[in-house]
Amino acid sequence: MATQAFVDPNLPSSCARAATAAEARYRIQRPVAPARAPRIIALDGGAVEIVRRAAALQWANARFYACESIDGTVTLRGIEGHPATLADELASADVVVMIATDDGGAGCAHTIGKACWQRSIMTAGLVVSDDDAADRAVAALRPHARVLLPGADESDVVDLLTALRA
Amino acid sequence: MLRQDINELLTRTGPGTPMGELFRQYWMPACLAEELPENDCPPVRLKLLSERLIAFRDSDGRYGLIDEFCAHRGASLWFGRNEDGGLRCPYHGWKYDVTGQCVEVPSEADNSSFCQNVKLTAYPLVKIGDILWTFMGDPAEQPPLPEFEFALVPPEQTYTSKRLQQCNWLQAFEGGIDSSHVTFLHSGGLKNDPLFKGAKGNEYNQNDKKPFFEVADSDGGLFVGARRNAEDGKYYWRITPWVMPCFTMVPPRGDHPIHGHFWIPIDDENCWAYSFDYHPVRALTAAERQAMIDGHGVHSENIPGTYRPLANRDNDYLMDREKQRAGEYYSGIKGIAIQDASLQESMGPIADRTKERLVPADAGIIKARQKLRKAAIALRDHGTTPPGVDPEHHRVRSAAVVLPQAEAFLDACKDDVRVNPGMPIASV
Repeated sequence: MATQAFVDPNLPSSCARAATAAEARYRIQRPVAPARAPRIIALDGGAVEIVRRAAALQWANARFYACESIDGTVTLRGIEGHPATLADELASADVVVMIATDDGGAGCAHTIGKACWQRSIMTAGLVVSDDDAADRAVAALRPHARVLLPGADESDVVDLLTALRA
Repeated sequence: MLRQDINELLTRTGPGTPMGELFRQYWMPACLAEELPENDCPPVRLKLLSERLIAFRDSDGRYGLIDEFCAHRGASLWFGRNEDGGLRCPYHGWKYDVTGQCVEVPSEADNSSFCQNVKLTAYPLVKIGDILWTFMGDPAEQPPLPEFEFALVPPEQTYTSKRLQQCNWLQAFEGGIDSSHVTFLHSGGLKNDPLFKGAKGNEYNQNDKKPFFEVADSDGGLFVGARRNAEDGKYYWRITPWVMPCFTMVPPRGDHPIHGHFWIPIDDENCWAYSFDYHPVRALTAAERQAMIDGHGVHSENIPGTYRPLANRDNDYLMDREKQRAGEYYSGIKGIAIQDASLQESMGPIADRTKERLVPADAGIIKARQKLRKAAIALRDHGTTPPGVDPEHHRVRSAAVVLPQAEAFLDACKDDVRVNPGMPIASV
């Protein structure tokens, strides 16, 4: 009876084969689902214009809002004008992106960030400003934004949302 | 995720590609100085940015980097005889100097001027620190020499190694600006590696596995700050500089030497990972240097006589499941460098970024991709010099500091992230 030849289990190794371009063809080709419920919130007037322009692009599930603080209570308004409540929108959100261009929305940033933190919602803050006009907004965002981009530019908004599959 | 067309833009670095042209705006490592250790030593075959090249050191100690193939019949000059001021093809005796100029064609008449009209493509090759650097762009646009601190400190204060990494440069580089993986992938190394262990900052890494990130522009690229909780309500910040296109520094730990990397495209499916350690104010100790040689820290244990890691994809990186289970090596792979490389190579020769699911913690990677894309397009369309070419942009440091909560990390550390020769690095 012929003896079965011994094959070293490491040669050719699974890694050597798996990492080739040829084997890449066998990776499962299934569309990746978009982010479930991203919310993009403009904290001030300048940010509203940025968010409005971003909202005009094609997105999967992203919703876009402006916000204002009245007597310490933050209310949201859809970028097209429909009213919304912060609690309701956060109830179904899985990521919140806040945009600031100046210090006008610092109070909103703090409230929204804290509310997200309490609900374990991932947050990102983008401060689209070339100077110190938004320092208070940065400071308000810092404790709660999982990721903060001070000194961002408008294209960062679209690039971030695209990368997150918003 | 990244669109396929942008993925192609960022990952392809061959001749004539936008990213290849961007790389050609910079001085970059071509090889280690140790590869050409003496005059008339054997030539070294190199591939850079998908070009086949030969590096050699002539009789007078001049370094040359020229087309690999003889202009006559296309034979490889790796077989060349390095003698009497040039590299001679052994096939017919044609000889080239370090500028690629043909200086002898033996079959021609003694007074023939034929060889004056024969010149191979050549690039400058300059020794700075432990590295031979090259500039593969237009000679008329050659920028000033690089001024990275690790290459400028005295030789006893610095050590550089390189290893082959069998994947595209971009997925390797992206690992360099991703601070969140350290707590998991390198958790064993934080406890065991002689070039990492013992630092106070390691405790903060281990105790807070959910860092916050801030990503800020710098003149030459980015500063990525990773923030973790420290004592007394303060924050521990690890600040990673990226200088375009492919230089990063690891934030320091205690008084350990400071680590950093370049990822240099060989072709679109391979790169050289250059790793360095240096200390700005003291010599590396004998123990530290030996640890680097032995493959600790960001360095790798290579197959003797080569720059290929001993643990590589052909042996499943010497996976040790028992040590994985025990937590000594979180992934089961020994060595911080190979822990990174193994996972980066597993992404495939060129990662398919259309299948990624990024999260906000990946903002540094997202921002870096944007900057690379914008710079490549601006160069292609407008001839705009990209960030990081100016040597002033190279004079950055990483930092690790503890700050009050209200402090912005770059405001607090603006001096710490700039090179201040002879001054200690900011480290916890």
